[in-house]
Amino acid sequence: MSITHHPGDELLLSYASGAAGEAVALLVASHAAFCPQCRAAVQRAEATGGRVLADVAPVPMSPKAYDALLARLDEPARELVRAANLQSAVPAPLQPYVGTDFEALPWRHVGGGISHLPIKTRGGMKARLIRAEPGSGVYTHTHQGEEWTLVLTGSYSDGTGRYAAGDVQSTTPEISHEPTADAGPVCINLAVTDAPLVFRGLLPKLVAKFHGF
Amino acid sequence: MDVGEAARLNALVVAVGRARDRTAFQQLFDHFAPRVKGYLMRLGAGNAVAEDLAQEAMLMLWRKAALFDPAKASASTWIFTIARNLRIDAIRKERRPELDPNEPALQPEAQRSADESFDWAQAEDRLHAALAGLPREQAEIIQLSFLAEKPHSLIATELGLPLGTVKSRIRLAMARLRQALGDES
Repeated sequence: MSITHHPGDELLLSYASGAAGEAVALLVASHAAFCPQCRAAVQRAEATGGRVLADVAPVPMSPKAYDALLARLDEPARELVRAANLQSAVPAPLQPYVGTDFEALPWRHVGGGISHLPIKTRGGMKARLIRAEPGSGVYTHTHQGEEWTLVLTGSYSDGTGRYAAGDVQSTTPEISHEPTADAGPVCINLAVTDAPLVFRGLLPKLVAKFHGF
Repeated sequence: MDVGEAARLNALVVAVGRARDRTAFQQLFDHFAPRVKGYLMRLGAGNAVAEDLAQEAMLMLWRKAALFDPAKASASTWIFTIARNLRIDAIRKERRPELDPNEPALQPEAQRSADESFDWAQAEDRLHAALAGLPREQAEIIQLSFLAEKPHSLIATELGLPLGTVKSRIRLAMARLRQALGDES
């Protein structure tokens, strides 16, 4: 698998530092599940965090803190590591959100071979899965702010190129964005936006009016 | 922190993981708890919340120490990730989507796992030297990324810089870190 479109240094750094909100973190972690190169970049950025922690001005703990902690060392721990299903097409970081079977999800059809599914995340950005049937899927949509799309299965193409599993495309409102799902496997994407998506298939005239098409 | 100090801290975490060594744990507590507290307070937590979360971070260290692998991260980096995630969970009330570090399919880099001689402790040392050598304006952005928890657009506004300048400083700094490890990809 060769990944040609990456989230970029800014997003990788925000993920490593913890500044990225949950939806963006979900996109970066899911991309990294496909991409050894970005995993290595996150690892390097986290090592930077280790340095920041080493250099931060220490603030003394209260005198009783250590004894209070000692009393808790024998408490039973909750399960700390949850095993991921590596046979699943769903990347490990996404599995706690949607399970391991894309086809079993309660997709909401929006017409034209397109369905979607909002994913619950906290913080400002919105995450959702978008499913496009091969060939038929022109899923033009608009968004007010920045949008990142991670391809999970299949591939799509638009005026800027072809995006296959693991690729991330970043778009801004200025970019006219008319992706078409390629022939082949169903194209499922994780889309993260800072404003709700509007599918043009639903309200073509309204959107055309607002966007001057 | 010099290389000897980093190796000493790594060995202490390994001792806790292997033998539930409470003497080692106390030394780790003395070293890291005030730093984790300081990190959390820099990010806006009050004294009481920071103290509680620093305790939680140390408890997590105690429980997860057996999973610590000095071939993948230094003790300081590992504890940074614990503190970062606890903070996201407790203060922002968000989940933290993580790659599961224990999955064989998700190991750092094929190249690296193939190369048995790769020494992450040395690599991290080179990274830290590269960080120390960054131009001041790049180092500032990197540090703020960890200690300000603001979008880079807001960091740019506060520094009176165009966002493009902030982004290009991040790219330059990250490229420097990549070169420090000899990763050309």
